[in-house]
Order: sequence, then structure tokens, then C-alpha cells
Amino acid sequence: MGLLYGLIAVGLALIFGLMDVTNFAHGEFLMIAMYLSFFLFAFFAIDPLLSAPLVAAALFIFGAVVYLLLVRFAMRAKANAGMVQIFTTFGLAIVMRGLAQYFFTPDYRSIPQSWLGGKTISVGGIFLPEPQLVGALVSIAAFAGLYFFIHRTDFGRAIEATREDPGAVALVGIDKNRVFAFGWGLGAALVGLAGAIMAVFFYIYPDVGASFALIAYVTVALGGFGSVFGAFAGGIIVGLVEAVTALVLPPSLKSVGIYSVYLLVVFIRPRGLFGSM
Amino acid sequence: MDKDFAVRRRRDLIIAAALAAIAALTPLFVKDVVVQNILILTLMYAGLSQSWNILSGYCGQISLGHALYFGLGAYTTELLFTKFGVLPWFGMLAGGVVSALIAMGLGYPFFRLRGHYFVIATIVIAEIGLLLFHNWEWAGAAMGITIPIRGDSWLKFQFLRTKLPYFYFALALCCLAWFVTWWLENSKWGFWWRAVKDNPEAAESLGVDVFNSKMGAAAVSAFLVAVGGSFYAQFVSYIDPESVMGFQFSLLMALPAVLGGIGTLWGPVLGAAILIPLTELTRFKFGGSGRGVDLIVYGTLIVLISLALPRGLLSLFSRPKKTGAAR
Amino acid sequence: MTITRRDVLLGATATAALVPLAARAQTTEVVIGVIYPFSGGSAQQGVDAQKAYETALEVINKDSDFDLPLAKGEGLPGLGGAKIRLVFADHQADPQKGRAEAERLITQEKVCAVIGTYQSAVAVTVSQICERYQVPFVSADNSSPSLHRRGLKYYFRASPHDEMYSAAMFDFFDAMKKKGTKIETLSLFHEDTIFGTDSGNAQTKIAGERGYKIVTDIKYRANSPSLSAEVQQLKTANADVLMPSSYTTDGILLVKTMAELGYKPNAIVAQDAGFSEKALYDAVGDKLEGVISRGTFSLDLAQKRPMVGKINEMFKARSGKDFNDLTSRQFMGLIILADAISRAKSTDGEKIRDALAATDIPGEKTIMPWKRVKFDEMGQNNDADPVLLQYVGGKFVTIFPPQAAIAEAIWPMK
Repeated sequence: MGLLYGLIAVGLALIFGLMDVTNFAHGEFLMIAMYLSFFLFAFFAIDPLLSAPLVAAALFIFGAVVYLLLVRFAMRAKANAGMVQIFTTFGLAIVMRGLAQYFFTPDYRSIPQSWLGGKTISVGGIFLPEPQLVGALVSIAAFAGLYFFIHRTDFGRAIEATREDPGAVALVGIDKNRVFAFGWGLGAALVGLAGAIMAVFFYIYPDVGASFALIAYVTVALGGFGSVFGAFAGGIIVGLVEAVTALVLPPSLKSVGIYSVYLLVVFIRPRGLFGSM
Repeated sequence: MDKDFAVRRRRDLIIAAALAAIAALTPLFVKDVVVQNILILTLMYAGLSQSWNILSGYCGQISLGHALYFGLGAYTTELLFTKFGVLPWFGMLAGGVVSALIAMGLGYPFFRLRGHYFVIATIVIAEIGLLLFHNWEWAGAAMGITIPIRGDSWLKFQFLRTKLPYFYFALALCCLAWFVTWWLENSKWGFWWRAVKDNPEAAESLGVDVFNSKMGAAAVSAFLVAVGGSFYAQFVSYIDPESVMGFQFSLLMALPAVLGGIGTLWGPVLGAAILIPLTELTRFKFGGSGRGVDLIVYGTLIVLISLALPRGLLSLFSRPKKTGAAR
Repeated sequence: MTITRRDVLLGATATAALVPLAARAQTTEVVIGVIYPFSGGSAQQGVDAQKAYETALEVINKDSDFDLPLAKGEGLPGLGGAKIRLVFADHQADPQKGRAEAERLITQEKVCAVIGTYQSAVAVTVSQICERYQVPFVSADNSSPSLHRRGLKYYFRASPHDEMYSAAMFDFFDAMKKKGTKIETLSLFHEDTIFGTDSGNAQTKIAGERGYKIVTDIKYRANSPSLSAEVQQLKTANADVLMPSSYTTDGILLVKTMAELGYKPNAIVAQDAGFSEKALYDAVGDKLEGVISRGTFSLDLAQKRPMVGKINEMFKARSGKDFNDLTSRQFMGLIILADAISRAKSTDGEKIRDALAATDIPGEKTIMPWKRVKFDEMGQNNDADPVLLQYVGGKFVTIFPPQAAIAEAIWPMK
């Protein structure tokens, strides 16, 4: 589970951390991804595992469009840029929820049968649900890919440089909007991947994103903004803390464990575990 | 320049007094309880947002966890009332003091955090509060607290037949929050905050006690919000954790200020005057459809306003003035 | 032209205001307020409820041949065939909004009664407002037992509350034990809002009284992103019966997580809510063969009372679903309310209240397996017998109480 939190968080980490833009509609991106893989399954019988790349591609486009149509202008705001971003994306989240309810109806949906659903592997008495296992593997691959992408490719460096100093980058001939649109697309595509995997074992309805959004923010901040590895580590920690708290305290308080750990970490290290900003 | 400032402040005060007087007279003309209800909510959110603005607007510490203080105010009042028979008026004060103390206690570690780390910490702490109250059997847990109603009484601040006392209390709260803001704007703290917001390092080197002034802002802000919370509890006469401590309250306190103009004297009032009736009316109009149309309308408006007017609606009024001055 | 018409209308309203009694005698339309969540996490319940009320409306307002109050003939006979009009309002699961909407419906839409609300927390404030304006509130589908114990005069609930439901479950356990089934330990699994808390408390109380041992009592956060840790604990405890009280979302996740972690209890006896929703069985029905849920409604009744099947078809044509526990209660709630208004021969709140209090409908004239509908002094109908249903072969089969049962319980579940 922790790795899945990590996978949801890493997309946010990219948008939130690397580009220093707050995206309050992150949970709704996840919701859209889950609906997409549901409909691909329902109408074309494409297993979520196969449709994951399709969903990721669709979300890539969606993320880039959101950036070009909305966030670009929010970032341009001369005053209160932080608040403008928060409330633009927050408004977007509400609209997305409303639209989902309008078009998809508020009914709960879920993918009944899939290649992975409900199968478990038992390793020495410990049950490992296959969908989560695959999710974990995909997250590790996605993290590794992203890490490589940010630190080893020109484009990754361009994203980072653009955040640091848009003016200087423009002089070198990099179009800030193209770089950021690509970054948003990539962030959304990662959420798309997470959504497709989650659709296998989670229920889907217009408000589903809300349960995950806050955990994703905490995961990213716990790991530290600006660090892909941090989001990865944050995800694992959150998953572990959640499991342990549920054993010690009444399970209805398990999120308290996660939140307390976040507070503890930032009190000691105000920039999260591996944060650079 | 200083003289201009003094003139402007006096003018603000006169406008505020005039507006309050007009508001105080509206119940003479507005007999419809639904409209009265909207007015009460508007005034309450204007007051809450004004209080939020003290910490988040003037002091620049964006908090999305003020629901914690709202809920604490509501719970302190009602627990004292239902369990110990303490009158809500004292409970209101007690709630305010408890919230202010907690705000200062939290401020100690919190103010070391910057930017997103701070915002997320405030969300998280309110969420912890919500979960604790959800699991606290003595405080009613999920069942909440139903306030026993025994007829109209100023002493117990509960009224069945009329909404007017609630209206005037909300108006008083709004005026109080406005006045505190107005007064702080020109106080030592007000200058410090502006300095801190513009450039914390420079301010500190000039001898501004950053930390204490932030603590002051947090305490004042939490106190006023908690009073709003106890008012809300008396007004609705039923509380449960979700309905007084939910994340939506943190946002509803921030939204009017942001829409109207964050860190300004008039922003929260203006924002609330537009936002709250709008929310209520979209729900009346489209809410029964079951298709989320109210959400679409509401969300679109928020996006448009925050994109078009990053300084808030107030900037619509100040722009022509500036051009006038330039001439 | 428009002006003349408006003048006529104005004149009409003025007359109505001046001579209220005369105007009421000729009422052609009776307005009832319906308050549900139409947005947010439980919007689907609101949408389903809307369909159920519209079905009831069709039965009342149009001529139909069912043995239900008001089915024959058009409209309300007591008010000269006046038609009922419903006004829907959205409370978004927020007690304050529910309160505001109730007030708006009563003062602006001039409703003469209110019905709702799904969430019990909202019913608290809505019923307070109705009490204040002396307008009857019919609590169609709230099951929290604390609701009718607040001494409200205008509160009515025709369906059972959670203590009655839980008692029925334990009656069933007692009966199974007599037949030699081993039932000693129970696992409670309930969510942390008012519904789950109330249900958990009731079950704990009755289990103690009747000598069942609760080995785990897990209260979990509603809409949790994950229930793995909770299910792990249930699995470790491995009680004879698992008793979940969950809404649809958590129910789906619970069943999926149980399958993933390889937990298969002997029996699941669920406190309705999520476990009566079509969405849940669409999603995980294959893993739920043999699950038992309490309910107030059973399609099996159609064998004895053909009108149940016909009305169900009417509802299905609108919603694409069979009646379930909630929608059947909503349907019945409106019928009972409309019957009282017709008998009151008035839209005056107090007269309707008195008519509701005098309600006495035999069970055969409902679509429910109830003995009858008759409210006690607190507005609760104590003759609404709950039933237990078992999910077998993609359908619900009534297994308890014996007089309503059409099959023996399959124990343990597959």
C-alpha cells in the first residue's frame, strides 16, 4: 500500500515539488484516471493492466491542457501567486467532481473481474494481493524512471532549471511553457498509472480522490519538496506507519499516526526528509 | 503621506460604521427567514474570514486548519453547557481562550515551517483534531451533541421563534473582527507584520520581534474564530465533528478573504457578501437535480475569479483610484 | 396580456391569504418537501431516493389498482383529489444545510410536510426545524435509535431502527444455536459516523445480554483509502460471525480486501446500508455468496402479494434497479404521509400530525413484511418487523423470521 501512496504522490511531487505549483485537484486527476480505466474495461473489455499506458497517455494530455489553459495563468499572477494557485486548482477540483457526477452519475462503480483482481500469492503465511504487488512493482519502475529522467536527461534538467530561474532559461532558448506543460503532463500521467492500478481493487465514484489527496500531500511533504526519492521514501513510511498505528490504536485513528509522523519530521527537519526547498 | 494614511483610516472607520448601521436595520425590511438565514451566514463568514485574514493575510502565514479553532470553540461551549450547565456566554469565552492557547502552543513549532510545509501542517493538525473528536466517547464521538432547547432565552442564547438575536450577534462578531483588524493595521504589530511579510530577514535584523508578533496574530485569530464556532453551535443547535471541524470550514474561512482581497481590510467582507449568497443560491437553484450542476457553477466561478483578479475583487475598486492619482 | 394574467394571479393569492379556509378547501396541489444528499459522497442515495419518491407519486396521483392506501383513484380523496407535488432539496450531508433547506422549503415552498434524509445527523436538525414550524417530519430511512427519543411531537418513523434490527439478528443467532449451529464469538466492524457508532453500540449491548462474546470490535474511519490493517485483525480474531455496519464504499473495499487477504468467515451478518446496495453486489457479488443482511424489504413478498412485484417493476423502469431496503422505505414513507394528509383533509401541519398519530395501516396494505403501521407516542412504529435476507445465486432470499422466510439459511456461507 505504501508504494501505491508513493506512486500517487510522485506525480504530485513532480508538479508540487519540482515546479513549485500547488495542485489541489490532484485527487480529482486520480478520479478521472480511475473512471477512464473503468470505462475502457466496461466498453472494450480492456484489462486495467493493459489500459494503464492508455490511461497514462490520456492523463498526460489532460495534465498538459490543464497547465496551458489554467495553471499557466495562475502562475503568471503578479500578486498572491500561492493563493491564486491553490484556489484555481481547488475550483478546478470542484468543477471536475461536478462534471463527473453530471456525466458518470454518482453511482459507485468497480471493476468486477480482471487478471489481477482478488488473486493473492501466499509467501510463508503472509498474503500478498497481486494487484498491490503489481502496483508496487510499477511504482518502483516509475520512480526509477523518473529519477533517471530528472537527473540524467536534458529535459529533466530543463524543468529544474526553469523552476529555479525562468528568466535565465528563456535566454538559453527554452520555452518555459513547453517545459512546464510537459512536466504537468508527466505528473498527471503518473497519477494515471496509479489510477489504472487502483481501479482494480478500489471502488470508483466522483469523490474518490478526496480520500487520497491529503495523504498524497503529506507523503510529498514528508519526503521533502523537490525530491523524487523523498516522495518514494515518504510513500513507504506512510504505508508502514499506517499499518503500525492500526495495530496500536483503534483503526479509526490510523491517519493520526501518519499525520503525527509528518509533524514530528518537519519539526525536526523543516524541509522534510530529503527536501531541497 | 502619513496624513493621507490617517485620513484613509478615518474614512474606513466611518464607512464601516455606516455599513454596520445599514446592516443593523435590514431585519426591519427583511422578514423572510430564508434571506435572514443567508444574511446570518454571510455575516458569520465575513467575521471568520476577517479573523483568518489577521494571521494569513496580514501576517502571511497561510493557515488551512482554522476549522480546528472553529470546532474547539463549538465543542468547548457545548460540552461546558451540556455537561456542567455553564452558560454559553462563558463557554464562548472559554472556547476562545482554549483556542488561543492552543494556537500559541502550536505556533511555537509551526512558525519554524515555511511555505507548503506550513500549510500542510495546518491542514494535518485540524484533521488530527477532527479524528480525535470523532473517537472521543465522552464528547459524543460521531453522535455529536444535541443542544437541548428549552425555549427562547438570552441567558442560554437560544431562540426558537426569531432569528434576530443570531443576526445581531453575527453582525457584532463581524464588526468586532473588522475593528480588531482595523486597529491592528495601525498598531506596532501591524507594522511588524507588513515588514515580516515583505522581507522576514531584513525585518528581523531591524529588531522586529518576528516570532512574538506571529504568536500574537495566531492567538487573536484563533480566539475570534472560536467565538464564531460557538455561535455556529448555538445557531445550528446540533454539532458533530464533521459539521464543525471538517476541512470545508478551513476553506470557507479562507475563500472570502482570497476572493475579496487577501491581507486587506475590506476583502473578507466583500468576499463573503458575494460568495455566501452565491453558494446558497446555486444550491437552492440546482441542488435538487442530483447531477452536480451546483458544483460546476460554483467551481467555475472560483476559478474565474481567482484567475482574473489575483488581488481579489477589491482590486476592481482601487484600480480607477490609482489612475486618478496618476493624473 | 401578461399584465392581466399576473393581475389575476395576484388577485388569487390575495384571496387565498384573506380567506385561508376557503382556499384550503379547494386545494388542488399539496406540496411535500424531500431533503436528501444530491451531491457529495452519498449523492447516489439521493438520486435513488428521488426515483423511489417519484414512483410513490405515480401510485398516489394516478389511478392504479394496488391494495395500498391512496392507490385507487387520482390524488388525495380527502382533499377532493388534490395532487401531490414534491420539491427536492440538497443537504450535502451537512446538518446546517439540512436545517436551512428545511426552513426554506417550509417558508418559501410552503410544504406541508417534510420527508428525508438518509444521514441521521441531518435528520437531527431537520426534525428540529419541522418541530418549530409545526410541520410533520417523516423520517423515511434514518435508522439511528436516538432520533425518536428526543420528545419531538412532529417526528414519525414507520421503519425499524438499529436496535430493532440488531435484536432481529440476535433472535436469528438464538434460533440457529437451537438447531445446533456453533455461534459463540462475534467480530464487530463498524464505521465511525453516527450510523456505525449507533449500530455498534446496539450490537455490543445485545451481545452482552444474550451471552455472545465479542472478540474484536473494530471501529474504522469511513471512506478510508485502505482497510488492510483492519481486515488483518478480523482475520486473526476469526470469529464465528462477522457483523459489518458499512456504507457502500467501505463495504466494497472491505469485501475486496478480505478476498485479497484470504479471509473467509463462516458467516457475515451485515447491518444493511452498503450491503443492500446494488452497486456493492455489482462490484463484489461473486465474493458474497451466502452473505446475510438485515432489511425491511424483500422481493419474495411478491409471491404472496403480487402488487409488490408490480410496484417494483415501476421503480425499476425509472431507476434500473430493484427496490432495496432504503428505496422501499422511502416509497412507503411517502405513501403513509400522503394517506395521513388525505385523512387530515387539510394541509395544516397540526392536523396532519394528528392524522399521522392516528395512522393504523395493516401490514397487508404495504409493500413491506411489517405487521402494521402504527406510531407510538414517540412517533416510532414498533410493528415494523425487520427481516434477514441471504444473498443466494445473485438474489436475496428471506430466511428470517420464520413467518416470512421462504428458505433455510445456508450456514456456513460458501
